[in-house]
Amino acid sequence: MPGQVGIVGVPPLVIIEEIQRRGDLIIDLDEPQVQAPMDLSASRIPRVYCAILRTVVLNCMHLRLDRLYIDVGPGKCDCALHVAEILADMLPIPVIRTRNQDTRSFGHPLCTADMPLVEKFTRITRGVQSAAPYPDLDACQPVCGFWGVPPRDFSLLSLFPPTTHIFGWTRCMENKTPADLALEQHFDPAIPTVFFSQSFCAKSALAQHLAAKHPRAVAIDCDVTAGSSTRAKIEAFLELSGIEPQRGGAD
Amino acid sequence: MLLADFGTSYCKIVDTTSDRAPRIMATRELQRSFCADLATGHNAARRSKKSINELTALARGGRRLINRGDFVLLDCGSRDIKFIRFEDGEVADMGWNAECGASMGFTIELLAAYYRLDYSAIPVPETGFSITCGVLGMSHIFDSVVMGASETEAVAKFVRGIALNAYRFAREPKELYLSGGLCDNPLFVASFPCQVNPLGRFVLLEGLQTTLEKNCLDP
Repeated sequence: MPGQVGIVGVPPLVIIEEIQRRGDLIIDLDEPQVQAPMDLSASRIPRVYCAILRTVVLNCMHLRLDRLYIDVGPGKCDCALHVAEILADMLPIPVIRTRNQDTRSFGHPLCTADMPLVEKFTRITRGVQSAAPYPDLDACQPVCGFWGVPPRDFSLLSLFPPTTHIFGWTRCMENKTPADLALEQHFDPAIPTVFFSQSFCAKSALAQHLAAKHPRAVAIDCDVTAGSSTRAKIEAFLELSGIEPQRGGAD
Repeated sequence: MLLADFGTSYCKIVDTTSDRAPRIMATRELQRSFCADLATGHNAARRSKKSINELTALARGGRRLINRGDFVLLDCGSRDIKFIRFEDGEVADMGWNAECGASMGFTIELLAAYYRLDYSAIPVPETGFSITCGVLGMSHIFDSVVMGASETEAVAKFVRGIALNAYRFAREPKELYLSGGLCDNPLFVASFPCQVNPLGRFVLLEGLQTTLEKNCLDP
């Protein structure tokens, strides 16, 4: 009988292939999977902490899983390394730590495609559950860039035009090489770029550092949900860069 | 046309059909039914027929008031701080600190009322507190007073710390233009370790005026 397997971060390809061979269902615990207040996780993990990992803990408190893979290597973060300890104590199932250092490039056609940014991120994060190669997609001429991890709140992505190119860890994610620091640091200096990080994430240092090197950039961070100030900041940056922000988003 | 900058604590309003100077009123005293034609600020979308982003208004206002291609404009509001850096007449950098740098202006005003202080009569202290926001900064004041400092001295260090924080947020320029209510606070202005050119409280209204003219020219 197929089981339910939770994943945190991007486990090595060999693990994804194994899960698929067994016919198990993969649940991406980095994304909200349950309708429950985030504060419920405060008994297990500090409130002032990465919202992605708080979401992982919240999901684990409510879902019935048979097994959990959590990447704790250079392709994820030290916070995941520590949260793995919490999950191992908390859950009556195997919590398997992985260190994804895959180097086989799958390419990143979605990152450069002409497609609503929310759709691109949805497909990229869903792509973690598959070991299949990507179909070809034409790269578009970019008007701006988004650098960073997939945000906890996708609604902030709705402000960007479909010709936004994706950089940073999300590009590594699509490429299936999450520990590729050189690829993570790549950006296009010719296009205005938003350098995004989750609040309280170690990657915020890299986001600020790269934004300072980029000639037209802004670094922003966001916790659980994108508040009006975060949205306004992105809107202003796009507007002042000569790009009309999309108005169809949440809020 | 009624233009309004709806700040968290104060609203700045001007009627473009009249020669009268812009007026400032406490946000809590604004009539609930008041509706501007064009506005910016936290409540702009709810209280106006058309609204624009605050940072956009700041950039347009700065460009209108400052006859230079390269400059840094810092707006210190009640709740947040924002800056824009222009290079060769184009926006080269910007920032908007609404979370960790929150409530600075509001706290400075609150402290003056609570301790009955006159900021124009307080000299700049030699050192300031290292603070990240109004709320955390309050703890430094209380601790300092407990350790024997006068309330005036403690608040002055707080204000200097806030100014230094804002200066660093604006990437430590040699010279900056200052916008917002804190332009009227001599202690705050003098606490910056760089040349400061205060522009007053109506920079965002100037940005609205530019928007209005641009829209009139390009209907």
